[in-house]
Amino acid sequence: MAENHGAILAEDLVKVYGGKVRAVDGVSFDVRPGEIFGFLGPNGAGKTTSVSMLSAGLRPTSGRAVVDGLEVSRNPEQVKRHIGVIFQESTADGDLTGRENLEIAAGAYGMGRAESRKRADELLEKMHLGDSSERYAKTYSGGMRRRLELAVGLVHQPRILFLDEPTLGLDPQGRAGFWEFIQKIRQENGTTVFVTTHYLDEADTLCERIAIIDHGKIVATGTPTELKDRLGGDIVTIKTATENPDMTGVLHALPGVNSLQKKDASYRVKCASGETFVPLAVEAVSKAGVGVTGVIVKRPSLDEVFLEFTGREYREEEGPTATDRAVMIQRVQQNLRGRR
Amino acid sequence: MLREFLALTRREFIKLRRNPQAIFTSLLLPLLYLLLFGQGFNINPAQYLPVGTPPGVIQDILHSYFRGAPNYYSYFSAGMVGFVAVTATLFLGANVIFDKLFGVFKRTRGTPAPSAAVFGSRLVAGSTQPIALAFFVLGLAVLFDHVPGLKGLQVTQSVGVVGVIYVVLAIVLLTLMFATLFLTFGVLIDVPQTYFAAVNVLNLPVLLTSDALYPWGSMPPWLQNISQYNPVSLAVNVLRETFFGSSAYPYSPAVYLLGLLAWSAVLIGIALALVRRALRPLE
Repeated sequence: MAENHGAILAEDLVKVYGGKVRAVDGVSFDVRPGEIFGFLGPNGAGKTTSVSMLSAGLRPTSGRAVVDGLEVSRNPEQVKRHIGVIFQESTADGDLTGRENLEIAAGAYGMGRAESRKRADELLEKMHLGDSSERYAKTYSGGMRRRLELAVGLVHQPRILFLDEPTLGLDPQGRAGFWEFIQKIRQENGTTVFVTTHYLDEADTLCERIAIIDHGKIVATGTPTELKDRLGGDIVTIKTATENPDMTGVLHALPGVNSLQKKDASYRVKCASGETFVPLAVEAVSKAGVGVTGVIVKRPSLDEVFLEFTGREYREEEGPTATDRAVMIQRVQQNLRGRR
Repeated sequence: MLREFLALTRREFIKLRRNPQAIFTSLLLPLLYLLLFGQGFNINPAQYLPVGTPPGVIQDILHSYFRGAPNYYSYFSAGMVGFVAVTATLFLGANVIFDKLFGVFKRTRGTPAPSAAVFGSRLVAGSTQPIALAFFVLGLAVLFDHVPGLKGLQVTQSVGVVGVIYVVLAIVLLTLMFATLFLTFGVLIDVPQTYFAAVNVLNLPVLLTSDALYPWGSMPPWLQNISQYNPVSLAVNVLRETFFGSSAYPYSPAVYLLGLLAWSAVLIGIALALVRRALRPLE
């Protein structure tokens, strides 16, 4: 296998249902080997259809998908050997034990009994399912079932992993745990990860690059930072003690200011960097003889990026609270730091 | 291909073993037919003949009425074997539909396992229970003949090795044919309600145009004509001819087996073409 190709290439992919519904409408992007690539979009934007076309599940109406150097429509069977897919819904057989699910999946990839058993042991251990390996999958908790799904998706050691809304419906601990496994797998094997998610903070923290899809078209691609930078930087609100004198001119003259709005004694400034701007602003306003009573620095989040590019709020299907999300992200970051 | 097939077959057998209730309930229907329907319905047309009818004439009438079988129960219980081979395969397709609904089928299709392994594993593992059930019915019917107060299957001629081979082939072929058909329905249909409607559309006409349950002599000529080409009748004819002799049948069991083979070849051929299309790697 030549190594000079990208992991995933989508070229003008189109999927039309029933002759008129253009679920995916000319999608193009590329994913580099070893990258975690986020694919975001509202419900019905075309995320799952795109994943199906890339993972040899659905034939595109037109366009080209190349996965690990293989043209998907010409080599669907081979592509399936190179990729692992974690579907939105649970696909494990509830009447089978965790181990049986894994052994049978391994067999379906052509492994013999002994090899299947060995691989199942490895994965059960890795996914912390060793103690529950002989329990029926239907008795597993949501987090355990997701880990079993991941294990099944990894049974044949794929080079590329497609995750379609992998953490939907999981509690913050479950989601954090799931992402830890993904990070670990990527670090150990250099696996490329293509993930669709509803959770923008997950994408922000974990994805190296992101594509946003809406109405079947890609509306933005870039790193989370690049996308946020496109919004014109941070938003700083300076509150002053009095409305007069007007500080608009003073603040506008400072470097890095993109726009400024005044409301009563508050100035809402869009600037390249909040960190650089705040000390300069406080100094300038104080020098002009006006007291600064408060400063708020807000970094644009992916939610704002999403709003900017799709024109709508990102609604999560089973969204956790902001606190839940903060806990999860903190935990993942701590774990990542701990490993470095 | 073989490893994929073996792994998927293993799954089917594990599922079967984990569901003893399904095995138990599958026994219930043939048991009720053998114990109630067959016993209660044991028609004897000789009782309606005028007193003094010579025994030879009575024998001739019974001979043509039950196609060589000594009584209705013997005739019917051979038919029940065919009946069971059809009805017990009915749930194979439903299992595919439930696996689709629960996502399990999606996972299998996400693997590179060839469609022949996906379908073949279900066919082979799924047919074992109906085949075993058909032999269970046969054994039970013979056993009933030795239970006081019950009617049973009276085998009136020596069966021999060739006869056993004929019987086994007829049961296996008939079961595989219907298992293939119902599994194909399961692959092609996504909604359980539609599946059961489709199954009834196939199942009832097939069974009711066969001579599995009706006494041959009570069937109107047009139904006899249709029935002689019915695959269930062909299989049942092989059994009856083997158990009760050939005098009431125009052809030998081998000819009926060939007919059954032709049916199987055509229907399985069509079914597999449809399945291959439905399970091709890219939808």
